[in-house]
Amino acid sequence: MAHFDVTFFSSALKKNTELSVIIPSVSADDYLFGENVPDYYGEGKFQTLYLLHGSYGDFTDWTLLTSIYRYAQEHCLAVVMPSGENSSYLNMKHGEDYLIYISEELPSFCTTLFPFSTKREDTFIAGLSMGGYGAYRAALQHPETYGAVASLSGNLDKAGAKLSGEAHMTKMPLNYRKAVNGDSLQMSEENDLRFLLQKCLSEKKELPKMYHTIGEDDFLRGPSESYIAFARERGVDIEFHLYPGVHDWKFWDAHIQDVLDWLPLKRGKC
Amino acid sequence: MAYIKTHFFSTSLCFGTDLEVFVPTPDADELLNQKPRDYFRPGVRYQVLYLLHGAYGDYSDWLHLTSVERYAQDHKLAVVMPSASNSFYQDMVYGSDYLTYVSEELPRFCEANFPISAKREDTFIAGLSMGGYGALKVALTKPEKYACVASLSGALDLETILPFLAEMPASPFRIEDILGTDQIAGSDADLFTLIRKLQAEGRELPQIYQTVGTEDFIYPCNQAAKKKFEELGVEFTYAEHPGIHDWKFWDAHIRDVLNWLPLKDAALEG
Repeated sequence: MAHFDVTFFSSALKKNTELSVIIPSVSADDYLFGENVPDYYGEGKFQTLYLLHGSYGDFTDWTLLTSIYRYAQEHCLAVVMPSGENSSYLNMKHGEDYLIYISEELPSFCTTLFPFSTKREDTFIAGLSMGGYGAYRAALQHPETYGAVASLSGNLDKAGAKLSGEAHMTKMPLNYRKAVNGDSLQMSEENDLRFLLQKCLSEKKELPKMYHTIGEDDFLRGPSESYIAFARERGVDIEFHLYPGVHDWKFWDAHIQDVLDWLPLKRGKC
Repeated sequence: MAYIKTHFFSTSLCFGTDLEVFVPTPDADELLNQKPRDYFRPGVRYQVLYLLHGAYGDYSDWLHLTSVERYAQDHKLAVVMPSASNSFYQDMVYGSDYLTYVSEELPRFCEANFPISAKREDTFIAGLSMGGYGALKVALTKPEKYACVASLSGALDLETILPFLAEMPASPFRIEDILGTDQIAGSDADLFTLIRKLQAEGRELPQIYQTVGTEDFIYPCNQAAKKKFEELGVEFTYAEHPGIHDWKFWDAHIRDVLNWLPLKDAALEG
């Protein structure tokens, strides 16, 4: 397994930004015990998962707080972990264009810099909490880019969210919230996942495979279930799993493994 | 410029190792000063310089102590900076296989994971002090791999430098552990023996560049090496400048090395 911490100047953000990248390579286990070890350095390209952090986080979270490094190697999957501040991965009303960065510049940058497949069937996006929303936001903006999208504990249904009393909302600086959504603090329709799903359906766009999981005692369970129901009423079957747990890294470390098992992986270079 | 701190498991060393890699990507300077930014595109490849640290050093030295990142960006050159401990870039008799790592595994890893050319005409190696010796040792071990090699203040003539190192307070080198002997002449540790062998086989040598500070303690060692190159009839470029064995010299004269290399100052097509 190779781990890359990348700093580069983002044209979309107009500033330097950082990301961590994991690319399968010969591990100590492969060296010691490996049979049928993939030809990591040979021809072909890796399937890639773009993996987004939650609010109050950054590009280091997934590496430091889960064992994604080991899971990615086991699945022979490249993983890209960018930073998105607390932007909800949106084009901020007063701030940086994180949606353009995540859904357009980043895939183009990474497939140019690293040996990653550019095919839709090999390109996936997932995230936790704010990153779960961000993954859906990006995938519904560019369903032609992503073959699959997964949310862990994401707040999918802003319409049904009751976040006002939660520390996640009350402790976020008001000026930052205004920068994201404007003075009204209301998410605009173009960022509403119900609206975006309906729009894809009306335009007959092919949707990515969709997955969502959340803890039984997570404060975002309500808006999870309402969004799943909304999608099902429109014939969109989001694979949904409810597990014991809350909104924490124990849950995400356990269930990112389910996401990797669910993704259509080829377990080698393609 | 994308600056990429890389960590991976080396099967030559049998432990994880770090390297710094620069890859030219559109930057703020190009945006501000309206320079071309369209070179970073799918299928792009860059010329590459492997750049080696000296004694007491590691992969981060060139990054922290010079502006080589900025110079490389101007030349559209990728730069790879590995770590090799105080090994003199050898497969140590008592220790690790740093020669195999730097001369075989590292290029293979980098060519698989970064957009760099694998052609000889686009592949260069340079280093300072111990790394100046190391660059020649690697290039003369794999002359089919490198078009050019440059030494800055290199410990090129081991016969001259080893007695000096033996007297040196806090010398980092365990020469017996590295080479198994202090009998240099006629061994593969001797760069001039390697050259003689390649000449006898009719092999093409990489182009050689040698520079040193006139007040450097390693100046006599470089004069001895220069004389031996001349006696062997090797074509090489020699430059000396006022200066000692320090980063001021290396930061100034790595620029001369980049100007001497046959750089295209442009991205190569894939």
